[in-house]
Amino acid sequence: MRPFKYTRATDVAAAAKTVSTNREAAFLAGGTNLLDLMKEGVAKPSELVDISGLAFSKIRSSGNVISIGSTAKNSDTANHALIRRNFPMLSQAILAGASAQIRNMATNGGNLMQRTRCTYFYDVNMPCNKREPGSGCGAMEGINKGHAIFGWSDKCIATNPSDMSVALMALDAVVKVSGADKKQRSIAFADFHRLPGDTPEKDNTLEPGEMITSIDIPMSSAGMAANSYYLKVRDRASYAFALVSVAAAFEIKGGSVAKARVALGSVSHKPWRCDQAEKLLTGKSLKDLNDASLRAAVDAELMDAKPLEHNGYKVELARRAMVLAFKRALKSEVVA
Amino acid sequence: MSEEKTVKNRKNKFIGENVNRIDGIFKVTGTARFATDWPVANVAYAVIAKAATAAGTISGIDSAAAEKAPGVIGVITHKNAPKLTPAGNLSGGSVLQDAKIEFFGQHSAVVVAETFEQAQAAAEMIKFTYAKAEARVNFDELIKTAQKSPSPARADVVRGDFEKAYSAAEHKLDAVYETPIEHHQPMEPHSTIAMWEGDNLTIYNPSQVVMGMRGAMATVFGLKPEQVRVITPHIGGGFGAKGGAWGNTALAAMAAKVVKRPVKLALTRQQMVNSVGLRQKNVQRMRLGADATGKLAAIAHETSTHTGTTSQFVEGCGDVSAMTYAVPNSLISYKTTAMNVISPTFVRGPGKAPGSFALECAIDELAYSLKMDPIEFRLKNEPDKDPANGRPWSSRSVVECLRRGSEMFGWKNRKMEPRQVRNGEFLVGSGVAVGSYPARQQGTSAIAKLTRKGTDVEATVELAASDLGTGTHTILAQIAAETLDLPISRISVKIGDSSLPPAAGSVGSVGAASFSNAVSEVCLQCISELQARSPKSSGPSDPVPVNVAELMSEANLTEFQTRVDARPPAQAGQYSSHSFNANFAEVWVNEQTGMIRVNRMVAVTGAGRILNPKTTRSQILGGCIWGIGMALHEESILDPRWGNFVTRTFADYHIPVNLDIGTIDVAFVAEEDKIVNKLGVKGVGEVGIVGVAAAVANAVFNATGKRIRKLPITPDKLM
Repeated sequence: MRPFKYTRATDVAAAAKTVSTNREAAFLAGGTNLLDLMKEGVAKPSELVDISGLAFSKIRSSGNVISIGSTAKNSDTANHALIRRNFPMLSQAILAGASAQIRNMATNGGNLMQRTRCTYFYDVNMPCNKREPGSGCGAMEGINKGHAIFGWSDKCIATNPSDMSVALMALDAVVKVSGADKKQRSIAFADFHRLPGDTPEKDNTLEPGEMITSIDIPMSSAGMAANSYYLKVRDRASYAFALVSVAAAFEIKGGSVAKARVALGSVSHKPWRCDQAEKLLTGKSLKDLNDASLRAAVDAELMDAKPLEHNGYKVELARRAMVLAFKRALKSEVVA
Repeated sequence: MSEEKTVKNRKNKFIGENVNRIDGIFKVTGTARFATDWPVANVAYAVIAKAATAAGTISGIDSAAAEKAPGVIGVITHKNAPKLTPAGNLSGGSVLQDAKIEFFGQHSAVVVAETFEQAQAAAEMIKFTYAKAEARVNFDELIKTAQKSPSPARADVVRGDFEKAYSAAEHKLDAVYETPIEHHQPMEPHSTIAMWEGDNLTIYNPSQVVMGMRGAMATVFGLKPEQVRVITPHIGGGFGAKGGAWGNTALAAMAAKVVKRPVKLALTRQQMVNSVGLRQKNVQRMRLGADATGKLAAIAHETSTHTGTTSQFVEGCGDVSAMTYAVPNSLISYKTTAMNVISPTFVRGPGKAPGSFALECAIDELAYSLKMDPIEFRLKNEPDKDPANGRPWSSRSVVECLRRGSEMFGWKNRKMEPRQVRNGEFLVGSGVAVGSYPARQQGTSAIAKLTRKGTDVEATVELAASDLGTGTHTILAQIAAETLDLPISRISVKIGDSSLPPAAGSVGSVGAASFSNAVSEVCLQCISELQARSPKSSGPSDPVPVNVAELMSEANLTEFQTRVDARPPAQAGQYSSHSFNANFAEVWVNEQTGMIRVNRMVAVTGAGRILNPKTTRSQILGGCIWGIGMALHEESILDPRWGNFVTRTFADYHIPVNLDIGTIDVAFVAEEDKIVNKLGVKGVGEVGIVGVAAAVANAVFNATGKRIRKLPITPDKLM
């Protein structure tokens, strides 16, 4: 770790300006990932701008959206009545991540900004195009049990580690950001994280200096509250990144699926929205939902999976986990 | 006067009682001093820079920036390091004597600075260039050409004619079991403060074997043993990683010598994977033959494994197959291949834990193929003497452990066929395995000091023992208090200092037996010497109970001390002595996701006299939990191209978390062993883990019908 300057932001625009003008500066909120990266020598910011004191820690309802402040803590968000009532799957997803201690420190914006846990990214002695563009991908021909099966490139096969983001993807969330010159914009969640392509060093579509101020979830997604589930499969019961995770949410009207939202975690550089499965499930009558029809929806989605040397199991695991998550989301409404 | 009679007549009863840890209050209030907690004036901080290649030589070092970095006092590399004598004295880890690189992450430089942060920042600035050589790091390839182990301790052990008996056997099993590289990763990473006064070295360093560390440092630095003092009263876990002396401790002392100041050196968690040893990866081929009734006729236990490039350490996986069952024909062998990794070393249940995974799974498989209950199968093959050496057992309680465990667990409800019990999404299964570990006492000296004020006597017992956090302080206080018939609050235990009388180490389950017998003997000797001095006494044959205050008063003494050099009983060597364990596990396997939960576990242990059931239970719990980790989680993975561990942190190297652990019931069966040593203590540090992984794996088979012979059993293996 190298010495760095630490400042406490009192104003969004000023903070954004600092970080946009000094390319070596970074925002600091909970620090649960950034400090690890600094200790490992992966992140080497010359300046940290602490934004945890800015007024973005509220979780509130404003008409047709529920807005989650970017500096609100993960635990406060997961346990908030508005979230539990309207988006219980988001609570499940947040609580499936990390440990209680880390969730107490970690912020919502930080959760979206966390970087891959690829071991080659973390070890500065290893090649990694994400950490050091052009140095190669250590994982491609290496130990890639935890890596992507969708959307990877020959430059990077890393996965996004966030649980929260998988649920937000399925809930049609919108990321509100504020940049230098107080420029504000909204980014659809599906457009927030990106695929690695030729520039795996970029995890998301934020411009330099842009800061997440809130994550807004439309109340229209609350219609799925009764039939939603976040399933996380991992190597131990808690405190482990997912092998595969599934966010599954359905709105049931008049005995059939009026809306289906499905996303997979730990299978790609970004939370993986399952459009194919959604399409096949939407409009289905509940009485037609059974192992075979759920499986058909899942198989359509997984057809394009491209597993690597050590992660072929993820395809079968995703298949089973999706069906299981669908059943848990649909509860007794599905015929086993 | 017999020791038994004496101890039975005390008012103060502590031996065998659930006494709380006397060091517990210091731990929970943060006042227990671990190595780097000691306040030392003018201390400087050292950080190690490690090699980023697995084989070859360092061809260039650019340390100019590091030397000029803020706060830096010294940069030590092989070019300017003092010459030491590490060969044969250190368990592994370079001390910068030459440019050679033996493994990825080898110590390659030490930076000393005014603060830890400055040292760390400067260490990152050192640039090494390497003349790389081909590294031997691809286990799967190397193991194909493994050769018979050159280590005499791992020569073939042959009994009868295995091949003949095996080929004639009615029921056979031939299966290969694989356990990965594992790391100890104690809660306290290895850390040292080293300081020199002239030619005398003092180190605060977590050392399981205090005198061993003193001897190692003395020879490495060319000193007489009495010129080195090792201080280590509290250790935050060791599990074998702190048994030997490793390069990091010597580097701390070297750095202190170079900068002429006390130096603090603590390894990071990531550095632990290639600094202080590991459990080697073992591929064990098991061949078992039995007759139609389930009587074993033949066992072959052939282990293929790797060593380091500079050490021949090979753990004895086959030991369990030599002594667990009565089998007339057996073959135990080891093949090894050298790898560019840090030297393997002792890890909890060395040899026995991976060996029993292979043996006890194989037994389960063979019993199942005979449609025999695996407990019945084991009872049928119970040996009446140690088959490994023909010696009688000093005591053996495998049968009692199995019977008691079977009742506690409710084994009779278990279905022999797999996949018979289902609970919602889960398949439920049960498994059993047994374990053992040798019990030994090693020579240990101890001093007891008594101080009397009026009728109040305080006693201190002193010996260079160590406490890994397992309760050594407490059991020694219990023994001293009861033997001297004093309240436990009147006892001080001074251990973890090489200036005290030499003691065995906390390794190989010898600690409790060695330390407790020495303390018992020195306290008994106190009494007999005081009785001899007392004018009212008719000598050491006086009847019990005793009153040390009266005795001291009669002899007109306010201070008294004596010393013993306790030795194991002569007859112990004519017997075979082990601690025993039976482990039962119930697992719930999610049929869809493959996630496994060990819902409940029963461990029944026979380990001679249990000095403190509470701390002993904790040891067994720790063994069970680590065993669950071994079965389901732990795996250190080398990148076969470069030889680096890709599992450098607890994010990638999984150990069980609270939620992974269900109910664990621990019980002890009574074992009165008057042969193993005077107190009849066997030790439980190792045995607790030994049978656990097999019990879990056998339960996974019973639940799912799948035999996973390659640990850890992770969800992907059940897909």
